[in-house]
Amino acid sequence: MASTAAVPFWRSAGMTYITYSNICANLVRNCLKEPYKSEAINREKVHFSVSKWADGKPQKPTIRSDTPEA
Amino acid sequence: MAMAALRREGRRFAPLVSSPNPINAIRSTLAPAEEQVGLGVRSISTQVVRNRMKSVRNIQKITKAMKMVAASKLRAIQVRAENSRGLWQPFTALLGDTPSVNVKKNVIVTISSDKGLCGGINSTSVKISRALYKINSGPDTECKYVILGEKGKAQLIRDSKKDIELILTELQKNFLNYTQVSVLADDILKNVEFDALRIVFNKFQSVVSFLPTTATVLSPEIVERESEAGGKIGDLDSYEIEGGETKSEVLQNLAEFQFSCVMFNAVLENACSEQGARMSAMDSSSRNAGDMLDRLTLTYNRTRQASITTELIEIISGASALEG
Repeated sequence: MASTAAVPFWRSAGMTYITYSNICANLVRNCLKEPYKSEAINREKVHFSVSKWADGKPQKPTIRSDTPEA
Repeated sequence: MAMAALRREGRRFAPLVSSPNPINAIRSTLAPAEEQVGLGVRSISTQVVRNRMKSVRNIQKITKAMKMVAASKLRAIQVRAENSRGLWQPFTALLGDTPSVNVKKNVIVTISSDKGLCGGINSTSVKISRALYKINSGPDTECKYVILGEKGKAQLIRDSKKDIELILTELQKNFLNYTQVSVLADDILKNVEFDALRIVFNKFQSVVSFLPTTATVLSPEIVERESEAGGKIGDLDSYEIEGGETKSEVLQNLAEFQFSCVMFNAVLENACSEQGARMSAMDSSSRNAGDMLDRLTLTYNRTRQASITTELIEIISGASALEG
């Protein structure tokens, strides 16, 4: 038995449920027509800067400023 | 007698009229416009007080403007925060919110603001996070921090440097939306191992009251463990699961989605509280500036009147010295 439960394809590809639902939402947003489409694309802009810390020392912060389907 | 006095007065004023310099000096010291300190000053200077009044008045204008800006931002974001409360309520009804759960790996997510001048909300969040850390750290448990926002980072860096896992800043560049928060939550999930996540934020009760709250999200394994132990989560088996997924699958998806929803609500509520706190802080600041301005005006008028009185006294005593 390779795995006790059948894992959906996205889980075995390393995505979390959050990423999966975001991709689905993006697909739905792309189905809209103008002008609602640009309003919806505006609603999903992402920008923040994350920096991981190890042993009390910050590492270089990375800025995630893409529209979130990366 | 009176005529002699008047003639003496006339003689006394003649040299004053003839020499222009003393008159200019008298005129300039009588006028409240320009006064110089030093050079044998004969009157008290009001320049210092006037400078302070000008700067206090400017500060009052600025804080009033900041209050208006915060009020308008609050109006916009309050609606969204109240609407987002419905996102996580089903999760709490299903899985329960158990802050007293006993787990090995705790991660405390502290939500604070990036900008300052917002009263004491960031300090209360940090205080609660430190208290949670103390409660949850024992011989076999470990506690880590994930910090959102510059102000929390500044406070927690001072004494908890080695327990910080991740720091996320610059959140409010765009309008806050679910996509951004879910990407944040995803980052946290991927980078941090946890058994229980405790999110600390300020819940927005009203414009003047913000309640620091903790929301607990458990990882799927812990949820399974708790469901075996009975209690609220133990009723999960009474639900039917559609589709070809097993219970652990569903629990995993649910736990991730729950974290994302709770984070969304927490970030929005904290932003609301930040604007509300900034409004009340700026309001009290402009009121203080107004009080200060009143006191300074009184001092200014007193100083001005004292200098005029001194001038008059000097002239009259000089005149009476000349004639007598």
